[in-house]
Amino acid sequence: MSTLTVPAGSAGSQAPSASRAPGTGSLVELRGVTKWYGNVVAVNDITMTLGPGVTGLLGPNGAGKTTVLHMMAGFLPPSRGEVLIAGEPAWCNPFVYSGLGIVVEREAVHGFLTGWDFVLASAKLHRLPNPEAAARRAIELVDMVEPMNRRMGTYSKGMRQRMRVAAALVHDPAVLLLDEPFNGMDPRQRLHMMELLHAMGDVGRTVLFSSHILEEVEQISGTVQVIVAGRLAASGDYRTIRRLMTHRPHVFTIRSSDDRRLAVALMGRASVAGIDIDPKGGLTVRASDYGTFTRELPKIALAEQIRVQRLVPADESLESVFSYLVGA
Amino acid sequence: MWGTTGCPGVVGRHYGGRVTSTPTRAPSGAPLIATQALTKRYPNGVTALADLTLAVSPGTVGLVGANGAGKSTLIKILLGLLPPTAGRVNVLGLDPALQGEDVRARVGYMPENDCLPPDLSAAEFVTHMARMSGLPKTAARERASEALRHVGLYEERYRQIGGYSTGMKQRVKLAQALVHDPDLLLLDEPTNGLDPAGRDAMLTLIQRIGTDFGISVVVCSHLLGEVERICDSLIAIDGGRLLRADRIENMTTSRDVLVVEVAEGIDQLETRLAGLGLTVSRDGRALQVPLATESTYDQILGAVAELDLPLHSLDQRRHRVAELFANGPAATTSTREGAHV
Repeated sequence: MSTLTVPAGSAGSQAPSASRAPGTGSLVELRGVTKWYGNVVAVNDITMTLGPGVTGLLGPNGAGKTTVLHMMAGFLPPSRGEVLIAGEPAWCNPFVYSGLGIVVEREAVHGFLTGWDFVLASAKLHRLPNPEAAARRAIELVDMVEPMNRRMGTYSKGMRQRMRVAAALVHDPAVLLLDEPFNGMDPRQRLHMMELLHAMGDVGRTVLFSSHILEEVEQISGTVQVIVAGRLAASGDYRTIRRLMTHRPHVFTIRSSDDRRLAVALMGRASVAGIDIDPKGGLTVRASDYGTFTRELPKIALAEQIRVQRLVPADESLESVFSYLVGA
Repeated sequence: MWGTTGCPGVVGRHYGGRVTSTPTRAPSGAPLIATQALTKRYPNGVTALADLTLAVSPGTVGLVGANGAGKSTLIKILLGLLPPTAGRVNVLGLDPALQGEDVRARVGYMPENDCLPPDLSAAEFVTHMARMSGLPKTAARERASEALRHVGLYEERYRQIGGYSTGMKQRVKLAQALVHDPDLLLLDEPTNGLDPAGRDAMLTLIQRIGTDFGISVVVCSHLLGEVERICDSLIAIDGGRLLRADRIENMTTSRDVLVVEVAEGIDQLETRLAGLGLTVSRDGRALQVPLATESTYDQILGAVAELDLPLHSLDQRRHRVAELFANGPAATTSTREGAHV
């Protein structure tokens, strides 16, 4: 399996604003990292770098996402290769924590603590000079000030999740790792968490989150790292990844004022591999060359005096890119 | 707990007319579920449902709402497991508070949480559930194997459930809800914990249950994209009250705004369209242009062609179900949701 890689910086979706990191380089770097448990290879020779902004970590169940996150956080040593956080190895290096926060998937919290106690404890464990102020700031960031004096046992899933994010953010880390942060959240909480991740990416934090809900990943970030069976299958902006899959025709659905005449005109072009006419109206066009087809179509339609009312790429979504990667 | 009284009819449909009084599926048009001023207050003073009036017609229906909005309470009342404090409720023409067993004989329920016995095989468990709903031994075994095949479990069904993946467990839960051939399925977060491929398979399966078997389905979900994909209509409840009930196509109607996306040169296009006198606004990677007349299409296409830009997409913007929740009183819900847990 080859890895589709988009050079860093071409993503374009994130504004590389004032980074807290010394130098503008990436804070998180994996070099040829392999992890095996006994005979099971969980992660196989992964090399990746993460820049500032939000990145989605995708892969089927059991692909090795959690193992990667745990190695970055220094919970696990790599069996081979290097995991570097701001240039320092993550394993056996407690200092990494001064610049890194992680929200793990297991949502175990002490139900008898209030949200405030929980975040404050995290601030004290980091030996912050002013733990109260830090805890307050983190709780404000996740918008949980009002219920912070209630016991966490009475919280809903979404509220617990936000408090856990606050605890991970209390020392203002430059790197934030989240394992399935949307699990169990309702629509409003999901929107809120998405905004939170967005905001953290915009101020130059390096945020990596794993998720199965591809529509949401698409809304938060175009930049993804896809792991399939322990290997890095693709990395970069998913739209650019799609362009690199040149062997797959690009499928578009088109609705116009005269579908048949448009089909005839398009069929003559080398960039078009095939056209289906939908009896209910509309065309499905398979284009072998994305760049040529998308430039030609407006001109052809204008020349034929056909009005194009709808042009929608059918397999450009993260969902289809992902299924191509996993299925390949 | 699954009632036995309603089962002759169930058997009759599948085993060749041995039973004459086969009740037909709910006549189309008549509501499957109807509630009137349904209210539920728990002894600790929490009001889970407040004056909820709704009618669910046959088809695939999405039930959405914030955590703590009252979805689980509603399901428990519909199944006759919890009596309402006030108001009336009617499921398939029956009153669950008085005829709970009859309701449960005709309704399949897939719970949200992990509730399967780890040391039984799926075949044993689903057969047991079939027998609980009153099927004779042989019929129960046949129906169980049929239901497991429908959900895509073949040889694995003889293995212990404890060793199953999340996706397989979800399928077993669905199979036990289907085994007594219900008229109505209640599915509580059926895609929870599934990866993209598993989700896709589960959604296709649910859609098929609705279209191929003609069983009405109520799906609780937090993923609005999912609801948009598989449901015909949607019921949103918030704080125990009805927020909105409508058909999906009415909630995703197109707006008079065109969205244009080009693979490169978006700045050029923006300037050019503005120069043509169009009101252009930026929305992420796309440009939005109000659709004044049909000629707006031609203006945009012309501009793209002149600038020689690759046109990625051009479409009318649609309303999304998510807009329901985009601007809600978030502060008030956070106090309520906690109180309910």
